[in-house]
Amino acid sequence: MSGYRAGAGGIIKIAEIKDLRLKIKELFKKTINNEKVERVLVEEAIEYEKEYYLSFSYSTETRGLVLTFGKGGSRVGSHFDEAAKNIDVYPIDILEGFNGENVPDELKEIAIKLWEVFTKYDCELAEINPLVVDKQGKVWALDAKVILDDDADFRRDVKFPQRNLFGRPPTKREIEARKIDEGDHRGTTGSVYWDLPGDIAVIAAGGGGSIVNMDALLAYGGKPANYTEHSGNPPREKLKKLTKIVLSKPGLKGCWFVGGTANFTDIYETLMGFVDGLREIKPKYPIVIRRGGPRDKEAFEMLKEVAKKESFDFHIYGRETPMTSTAKIMKELAYGNTDN
Amino acid sequence: MAILITDKTKVLIQGITGKEGSKATLQMKNYGTKVLAGVTPGKGGQEVHGVPVYNAIAEALENHPGINTSFVAVPNFAAYGAIEEAIKNKIPLINILTEHIPIQDTAKAIAMARSTVILNPKGEGSPTNVGISNPSASLRAGKLRDSSLIAQNDRVRIVGPSSIGIISPGIGKVGSIGGDDPRGVYSKGSVGVISKSGGMASEISWILTKNGLGQSTVIGIGGGILVGSGFADLMEDFEKDPQTKALVLFGEIGGTYEEEAADFIKSGKFTKKVVAFISGLFAETLPQGTKLGHAGAIIYGEKGSYKSKIKSLEEAGVIIAKTPDEIPDLLKVI
Repeated sequence: MSGYRAGAGGIIKIAEIKDLRLKIKELFKKTINNEKVERVLVEEAIEYEKEYYLSFSYSTETRGLVLTFGKGGSRVGSHFDEAAKNIDVYPIDILEGFNGENVPDELKEIAIKLWEVFTKYDCELAEINPLVVDKQGKVWALDAKVILDDDADFRRDVKFPQRNLFGRPPTKREIEARKIDEGDHRGTTGSVYWDLPGDIAVIAAGGGGSIVNMDALLAYGGKPANYTEHSGNPPREKLKKLTKIVLSKPGLKGCWFVGGTANFTDIYETLMGFVDGLREIKPKYPIVIRRGGPRDKEAFEMLKEVAKKESFDFHIYGRETPMTSTAKIMKELAYGNTDN
Repeated sequence: MAILITDKTKVLIQGITGKEGSKATLQMKNYGTKVLAGVTPGKGGQEVHGVPVYNAIAEALENHPGINTSFVAVPNFAAYGAIEEAIKNKIPLINILTEHIPIQDTAKAIAMARSTVILNPKGEGSPTNVGISNPSASLRAGKLRDSSLIAQNDRVRIVGPSSIGIISPGIGKVGSIGGDDPRGVYSKGSVGVISKSGGMASEISWILTKNGLGQSTVIGIGGGILVGSGFADLMEDFEKDPQTKALVLFGEIGGTYEEEAADFIKSGKFTKKVVAFISGLFAETLPQGTKLGHAGAIIYGEKGSYKSKIKSLEEAGVIIAKTPDEIPDLLKVI
């Protein structure tokens, strides 16, 4: 959910209850910081004396846990906002725990409670903003936000729905792709899949190399239809499923299967899975393949055979061809050679 | 001489009877690495590729006191227990392959490793260790245990989690790096490589090898938010290593490890040539907070952005490669 909502007109104060319906209707028509309004929280307006920001999160600078606290509130965008004034970051010794250090007495109780939520539910961030104190000295959390650590799903008894990151619910393909890895820990395939507005289907390899290649595709003017990656030597079936999901998108102009020189992912197996998927979809558009690693020579022999038999428009490149240069080849094949 | 993995490296495999552990064991032995023992609770007495298996690290150490490196290849839910056991047994170098370890567990492991003093080869802690040799010792609540008082080489070091491994070509390797046969991709030479990505460690080493540039040591530090060893931590070792003449960094948006490397160079602590390749412009086109394969490649606000990393590295005199294939030429030009 977007921060900076107050500034973008996402927080409205009404004087009388009769205005509520109209104001809510107006909110639902709005897009706040590129996110469509789907839900509205109605709460009592609190008159307060003091306003604070309070959060727990992890910091790469201290390589550990930090408390972020100070005077602020809605003017502070989020913990990660460097411009935030009067906000300090305090390292916490995770082996010792947090006992209310560095916050005023009146806020210790709530800070410790937030800490308990943060650790118990394996959060990456637990934030109360604004945290206010009224005239009677009562403490109110007017808004709050948590980011959960997905890697701790296995020990969290409460299951939460997927977050809507793109300001929209997850697409059918996103949901289907994420199912591929469920209950099968052999490699990672489709756990990360995002639909994008372009027309070049992408099946990329490696958590690092995939981003390098996406950078290159964008730089050459290619428009990706999706982002997805696979890594850790996934089996053939997983690649077949992923290929079918990626290529189910209408209006594609090309498909790019790209990766670096793998350490241990079996290139023959993963490309066989890709071919299994292609055989069902039977695409006519150009398919650019660049890959290296264990059994790559065998894989390329197989691809040449398949291309002949099934008349796929394959353009095959091995480790001798710079990985990112195939982004340009893909773009030119998909859109025509517009540069010349 | 290389760093971290030398001819003195003697390895313990945690999770040796698992698929990844057993596979890496064979690969490491085939590459000439000394693998002395393995641990899987409840499976003591077995052998995996000729390596004896024990129930606990203490037992393995009794029989093989020379062990100085542990490779962790256990499932994510068991990782914290395994790492804690290695730290308590003061194994100087712990390389973690395991992916998807909860960040809370990684944070605990890093805190514990940083405050755990190992004995130097003379059998004594260094003088700076006095008074903080107890792993649980810490300064008063609200402050970090002052691990900065302990020299890096005197405390337990973690490389990873989600690390592809460490290879010193021609000498040995720990982890899955290079797969079954690293020889085609990795070659011995004078360029150090530190990479947030395992695949890019391989791709960059291949590009170097293809252009006649061998490597001293190649390290996959992992792409998570918290890592045991960042760029700067390892640059300290590369600076001292006479075999290493230049360094290649593969970084990504998110976090502050690249900025830390830039500060390390600016402070005069690293004097060798550095070429860096930073990726992630694509990720910056997505909504903030979008999760990609590397948990660390995530942006909130301006912090950890592509621009911030390139700016600080350039200010430190680091040469930025626009594509991985430019790296060899940039290393050659002085």
